[in-house]
Amino acid sequence: MSAVGSIPRAARSRRPRLRAADLPRLLVLVLLAVLIAFPVYLTFVSGFFRTGSFVRSGLFPPLGDFTLDNFVAALTAIPLGQQYLTSIVVMVLQTLGQLITSALAAYALVFPKWRGRGIAYALVIATLAIPGESLVVPNYQLVSSMGLRDTVFGIIIPYLAFGYPIFLLRQAFASLPREIWEASRLDGCGDLRTLLLVVMPACRSQVTTAIMWSALFAWNGFFWPLLITDSPVNRTVQVGLSQLVSSESTAPAAIFAGTALVLLPTVILVIVSQRFLLSGMSRGVLR
Amino acid sequence: MTQTTLTRRPDRPGEAPADGRGGSPSRRARNGIRAGIGPWMLLPAGALLAVFLYGPLVTGVRLSLFGTDLFGDPTRFVGLQNYLTLLAQPSFWQVVGTTLLIATLSMSMSVGVALTAVILLRKWIPGRGVLRVVFSLPFAYSAASASAIFSGMFAPAAGVVNQILGHAGIGAVPWLQQPGWAIFTIALTTAWYELGFAFLVLAAAMRTLPPEVIEAAELDGASGLRFVRSILVPLLSPSLFFLLVTQTISGLQTFTQVRILTGGGPAGGTTTLVYQLYMYAFGQGTPDYGRASVVAVVLVLIVALVTWLQFRFINRRVTA
Repeated sequence: MSAVGSIPRAARSRRPRLRAADLPRLLVLVLLAVLIAFPVYLTFVSGFFRTGSFVRSGLFPPLGDFTLDNFVAALTAIPLGQQYLTSIVVMVLQTLGQLITSALAAYALVFPKWRGRGIAYALVIATLAIPGESLVVPNYQLVSSMGLRDTVFGIIIPYLAFGYPIFLLRQAFASLPREIWEASRLDGCGDLRTLLLVVMPACRSQVTTAIMWSALFAWNGFFWPLLITDSPVNRTVQVGLSQLVSSESTAPAAIFAGTALVLLPTVILVIVSQRFLLSGMSRGVLR
Repeated sequence: MTQTTLTRRPDRPGEAPADGRGGSPSRRARNGIRAGIGPWMLLPAGALLAVFLYGPLVTGVRLSLFGTDLFGDPTRFVGLQNYLTLLAQPSFWQVVGTTLLIATLSMSMSVGVALTAVILLRKWIPGRGVLRVVFSLPFAYSAASASAIFSGMFAPAAGVVNQILGHAGIGAVPWLQQPGWAIFTIALTTAWYELGFAFLVLAAAMRTLPPEVIEAAELDGASGLRFVRSILVPLLSPSLFFLLVTQTISGLQTFTQVRILTGGGPAGGTTTLVYQLYMYAFGQGTPDYGRASVVAVVLVLIVALVTWLQFRFINRRVTA
């Protein structure tokens, strides 16, 4: 056993070195990376400089041209602060709602045996194939008739339950050994306590994946929040961005500055949790 | 609390013999489990999906069969007339074509680049960790933020790309001013921000490949493109198929990019199905919910058809 264990260590101690044969590969990768990183670089750097200076200097502007004017212009063009708040409320409530409804639904679809469970599961999965954008007219009428137009709840309510997180959690719960559930129920734990204290902790990483998916989905929503809200202060940052683009179309630097502010949380999330995303994706997405 | 211990076995005496696997420890253990609220826990999600998904689906079909008055309310039953009017318009078929083109172009660009990056990053190379972060970064962008950035990049005069091209002595490209270019730019924007997700999914799948198979293939002398084509791509095919289906579906629903980058123009050249739906229902003085609903139904049918075709003709070739 110890001999087997020592092989990777020996391999690791031999530092990998760049061989000539790897150079074309490296070249292609760096080229691709530069092209893909370019819009990110623009987002976070050019907002701090005047547009002209940015291009004239060959994309590396002198620090003397540093300015915060673009951020001021972006913040005066749209009520970004207020919209940030709206977006955060939408994200928190919608994510919480989806987590609760999907965990409950996934539990009901995996553990107890009941008549109609198969059909119920098929109906939930079928929602994944229905394009959400095709439902906006009836939903617009429905939510308006509930008196929720132009409110935060109007943005959230159609998305309190969603097929994809239910599917993710169902797959996770179904991969648990059934004995865990049986043991807990035999010990006298109710269904809710079993879900909360036994099932969810056992699927921690998939639950985290589902939460991250829901949070990004809520933060990134555009079409529905655009339709159901009118007043600028009730709109989310994503809708605010589209207003910014149309009002500042002649000043790209202000657009970049505003977008940078909107993107900061998700970019940090991706950089910090990149390792988790890599492993979480394989468990969450691929059955 | 009368504590009626409802057990499954007495309820259904015929169940155990019919199921040949009876007698396992788990089966015996279930005898003692009281029926709880378990099945009812589906209710919150089920009710919400019924009200905000299946209900609107039915309402949408119904609306598509009615005429609409000036306030957008349904007036009288017109049968399939809304469909016939719309399908007779050449401009509608152009919208369908644009939608399919954007979906196909953006999906193939993002999956293609992501696959290339993942394959090239399979073995160690200096800066591999940084490169991985770079390829995942577009995942942080929403459709709206990617569109905002690309609208600044590809603006006609003040745009960074045309200015760089100008310095290089190349004339300005009408990125968003000519229908053909505008479709390409919209697809490029979509491909760019979808790339992050595609990369994460493929990189995660690459990690779970059985090392024995790869090593054996390498020992056999499989190398280069042949190795990629006959070993890697088949092994990655479940994830590739997943990306193909999901990114095509989201491409068929393209709206945000069109709304922010072109507003459907020039001359309606970048109007997609969802953008058309939006214009009928919300984009003009008098809402025409009837026609918007026809577009919605057509969208549902196209998504179903494309997904079915993909499962029918491509899924068969997916191994594992």
